[in-house]
Order: sequence, then C-alpha cells, then structure tokens
Amino acid sequence: MAYLACSLPIWALATSPPNQDESVSRGKALYEKACLLCHGKTGKGNGPDAFYLGAYSAPCPRDFTEAEFKFRSTSSGELPSDEDIFTTITKGIPGFMPAFQGLSEADRWDIVRYVKSFSTLYQEAERTPIILPPGPLPATTKSVSRGREVYALLDCAKCHRPQTLQPGGLYDMGELRDRRDLKILPPDLSSPSSFKNGHRPQDIAQSILTGLDGTPMASFRETLSAQPEDLWHLVNYLLSLSRSP
Amino acid sequence: MNPPCPTIAKYLLLLVSVILLSPLLSTPEAQAIPAFARKYDVNCTVCHTRAPRLNRTGERFLENGYQLPGTEDGGTTKKFRLGDLTLDDVTNYLGFRLRGNALRTVDYARHAPGTNIDGNPEDRTEFGFPEVFSLFTAGTVTNNVGFFAEIESNLEEDETGVERAFLTFNNIGQHDWAHLRVGKFDPSAYSSYATLRQQFELVGDNSVDNGSFMLPTMNRIGLTPAAFASKFHGLFDRSGTAILPTDPSLFHAVAEMGLDIHGRPFGEWFLYQVGILNGANEPFGDSNNPKDWYVMTRFDVAQSDYFSANFSGFAYFGSNNVKVSTMADVNWSRYGFATNVRYYMVDIYAAFVVDHIANLPNSFNNTFDETATGLTVEANVLATDRLLLGIRFDHLDAGGLRTQRTSNSLLALIAKFYMRSNIALFLRDDINLRPAQGGRTPERNFRNAFFVGADVAF
Repeated sequence: MAYLACSLPIWALATSPPNQDESVSRGKALYEKACLLCHGKTGKGNGPDAFYLGAYSAPCPRDFTEAEFKFRSTSSGELPSDEDIFTTITKGIPGFMPAFQGLSEADRWDIVRYVKSFSTLYQEAERTPIILPPGPLPATTKSVSRGREVYALLDCAKCHRPQTLQPGGLYDMGELRDRRDLKILPPDLSSPSSFKNGHRPQDIAQSILTGLDGTPMASFRETLSAQPEDLWHLVNYLLSLSRSP
Repeated sequence: MNPPCPTIAKYLLLLVSVILLSPLLSTPEAQAIPAFARKYDVNCTVCHTRAPRLNRTGERFLENGYQLPGTEDGGTTKKFRLGDLTLDDVTNYLGFRLRGNALRTVDYARHAPGTNIDGNPEDRTEFGFPEVFSLFTAGTVTNNVGFFAEIESNLEEDETGVERAFLTFNNIGQHDWAHLRVGKFDPSAYSSYATLRQQFELVGDNSVDNGSFMLPTMNRIGLTPAAFASKFHGLFDRSGTAILPTDPSLFHAVAEMGLDIHGRPFGEWFLYQVGILNGANEPFGDSNNPKDWYVMTRFDVAQSDYFSANFSGFAYFGSNNVKVSTMADVNWSRYGFATNVRYYMVDIYAAFVVDHIANLPNSFNNTFDETATGLTVEANVLATDRLLLGIRFDHLDAGGLRTQRTSNSLLALIAKFYMRSNIALFLRDDINLRPAQGGRTPERNFRNAFFVGADVAF
C-alpha cells in the first residue's frame, strides 16, 4: 500500500472532505454545467450528447446509478473509492472524456459527492483499494521475455491485437462486447497513450489486477497471485510494444 | 431546344469516382484525434454530433470561449508558464480544414433562359476539389480570454483572406453571466440553427458581375438555407456590388464586424445575446451610422434521456445598411424563429425568417416587394457510427424587384460517410421542386445538382 501511495499522482493523494449537504448541492450545480450533457440529469449515462458518443459502439457515458466503474483501485465487482472517481474527473479518459483540471480541487470533490448520490450502494458497500506488489521492475530483456510468456499464458492476444502481433482476435470476429452489448475495441497495445486508465506502469498494473468492470477485460488478480512479480514482467512487455521510443 | 441531358461521360466520371472511393468506405477503426481535440485528448464526437455540427457540449464550449463547460480552464489546461506568459503548444491551437466537391454535375432546364437576365448556364460536370481550404487558430490566451482566426481560400469566390477573426472575454462578472466577442464573427453562432457548421455545406451562386449598381447575370442560384438567405432581388452593398438573394446575410452572415455579448445568467435553460455590427456586407471603413444591432434569446427546454430541445427567437435591426439601384440607403431588418430537437439518432432543425425593407424611395412604389420570407427544415439521422443521412427542404418567398423576384423550393439529400471522426466523404443531391416554367428565371432554370465531396479537418 505504501508503494502504491507513493507512486500515484498528487491528485490521487487528495482526500475527500467531510460529507456535507452543501458540498452535494455545489456538486449538483457543477454537474449540471460540466457533466449532465453526457451523463444525463439522473446520472444514467443518457444525456443529450450520449447517443452520439456511444450509440453503436463502446464506450458510452457511465451510468452512475448502477455504480459500476471501469477505473478503480478496488477489486472487481466493488465500487470505486472516492479517490478513484476524483482521479477520473481530474485525468479524464483519453479519447472520450476531457480532464477537468480547470475546476478547483474543491469543486471536483463536490462533484464526486454528487455523483455518489446517484446510488444508495455507496452508503453500505466496502471499498478497499487493492495493494500492488512491489515494483515496477527494471525493463530488462529477461523481464520483457518473461512478460511475453505471461502474455501468452493469460491468452491476452485473444482480445488484444497489437500491431506487432498477428490479427485474428475476438474483436476481429466482432465478439467483444461490453455489458450494454455494444461492440468494444480493445486498446492498441502499441499505443499506450491511448490506454483509458493511464499508461504509467502502475496504471497498467492496476488495470490488469482490478479488471475493467462492465467490459470483457477481467481481473487477473487471482491468476497472478502465485507469482506477483509476473505482473510487472507483463507490464514491461506491454510497454515494450510501444511504437514511441 | 435543350441539349441532351446527362451525358455518358458524366456518368462515367461518377462511376469512376465511386469506384475510387469505395475501398475507403471499408477502412476500419476511428481513432484519429483531430484539430481542436488535441488539447483535451478527446475524439471529435465529444463536441460534435458528427463534424462539423456541434453537439450540446460543443455549443457550451463555444459559448464559454473555448473552455470546457462549467470551467474557466483557459489558463491552465495543457499550458506552461514563461514569466508572466501562459503558453500553449502550437499543435493545441492550430488546425486546418480542407473541403469541397471533388465532382459536381449541374443540370438546367434550358441553357439560355429567355429573360432580361442574359444568363449562360450550361450543363456541367467538373472537378473542383478543394473548393475551400481553411487555416485556423483558436484557443485561450489565459483563463477567460479566447481567440479565433481563420484564413480561408475559396475557389468558387476566388478569394483568400481572413474569413473570421475575433477575441472573446468570458465569464464577465460571474460564471456564465456575460461573454464578450469582438471582431469579425458569425452572429448566429449561439442560436438554435447556426449558419456555419452545416452538414450541407453552403454552395455559392454562379453569377457574373455587370458593374456597380447593375443587376448581375445569374447563371445558377446559390444552394444555401433559404431562411438565412438575403431573399431580395435588387439590393446592393455600399460599393454597389449586388447582394444576391441566396447569400447568407444579416444575423445569418458568415462573418460581420462588430461586438456582441451573450450569457446564461439564470441557468442552463436560457441564453441571451445582444450585438452591434457595422451592417450587412459592411467591412472596415463603413460610413453607415448608426449601426445595425440585434438581439437573440434561446430557451433550452429539455436535456435528458437522449433528448434535447431548444428554440430561439431573434430580431435584427438594420439602419441604412443596404442600397437600392438608385443608390438610396434603405433599412434592411430581419426577424425569425429557429428550433432544434435531438432525440436519439434524429437531429431536426427548422427556421422561419422574415426580412423587411423600410425607407424605400417613392420611385420603388409598386415595383419592389418589401417583405420576403424563408423557411428551412433539416433532418439528420445517424444511421450507424459512420453513416449520417440528411435531408433539407428550403422555400424562399423572395422579395425585391417584382420584375426579378421568383420564389423557389429546393430539396437536398446527403449521405455522409465518416472514415474517421475527422474525415468525411459525401454524396449530395439538390433538386428543384418547382416547375421549370421554361427556365425563364435562374430560380426555375436550375433543376438538379449532384456532388461527390470530402471534408477533412486536422
């Protein structure tokens, strides 16, 4: 946990202020200006612009009433932490949601509180951030080589089709779909900057361990628990596929 | 005697074009990050239903002076400081757009209409791409200070120059209370149905200038929304150049010089706009005093469940802003109503506009219709992620010189295929719905225009 904390950006270290009705009220006013057009008045991801974002293919705007989030530090199936929601608002999602760093930190926390008000599940659910194994490891030839083996063992190519690998994954057959049955495009592994959950080693490791709920990307936490360092080998391999120097 | 209409060569050209373009239609994956999207690392569809049309987020981004809705992020996002300067990477504010009809074919009822307008239209099939190249820069200097400048080269108008350029000062007083725009801008940008960012690109007229305060020889009418058009025959700008009835003008001008203020002080449901301009077709050096001014209000009445609706009303008051053939100044004003309803994949626009000329010289009594109207109704359907289908109906009840004025009704169809969110290929057909009547006027002589084109922004 200590390692995870020191590797995260400064905004992720920010802590949620005490719960206040005023904060929710301010969050509502901000939400209606900055978020409603995509996520909808009732938070169901059906705002006026939502259809044109994700009508025929994923991703579409998040439905906050279902409290199912892709980008979390918590286990698969759990709700995200407040810090996770805050981080997504702050960083945005490459390609699909702008970063709202232009809002003050207090404003972003107000929005977090309002977003949580769309679901009663937050009042009772446990939300425990997972702990990343010590790392990252140096990206040596040996590590990358082991990562390639892990990639094969986990059958990642079944869905992902980096340019350096052969086509023929499930996406090419049109079988990759999200929970709303929308066709979903796995990220191009040779272009880490397009990774929606971030492209730092820690971001990639987190996505592998937590999975991206609501998408075909499962959690590999159990699979990798026997040899935790394999997580970082895999991360090194994935980053080695990058087209950028 | 009409010449043989569509020739074999014409259809051969069309066939070749379709064959050449067809492999592009199967290009997979839309992951491009185009011009304005670079700064925010998002795809075009965050701000556009399908480019160039704005969605609600794009409209709010525009209203807020190129800052995300609800924020004043112009001083921070993707910028770095150098002393007291706040700088942006050049790629975050520089873009271009290349668009036009690679191939167009126009048919007429008759090739030399026997009217007092000695036109010489002829059936034509020609290549024309690129018709318009725009180099633009836009963004924020710091928080709440934005800018836009566009240099355009237009093949049809044979002009290159500054199309629009203005500064914005935003969130004056409190957030969303007042935004000021100063420079050369499009007045209708914030209304329910704006002149620019049309899926049906404006296609100018084809005419020959016959000198100052002389009626031009008009071979083909412009293919522009009737509601936005000038509507009158026999009007001239200060230099004596004829203002053609299909030119967008007044509140719907592509660009005029002046300043305006808009805001949403009472919440998201209401927008006001007040502006003052040199006047219709009055660039720098205008001697028109007093100026033209306008007011617009927009009501956003619904924003939920994949549904949004808004309507706008406006009034534009012209003062000595146009001349008639005797060089006398007259007052040209406009009033109108527009609406936009969007529900799932359907996007509908409508505008009804009334134009009126006041202060006409007595010599024009009984020879000049002082009122004209235009109706435009458009519907777009996003049939798939990449295919947009559109239809537009225009009816122009023209005014002006009674010897010239002729109403027209046009129907336009378009199919746009988005290879990527910033690269569109399209097929378009404009059909004259009114009887040819022997092709005695340009409005009736034009029968059909077919376009194959592309629109690329980066």
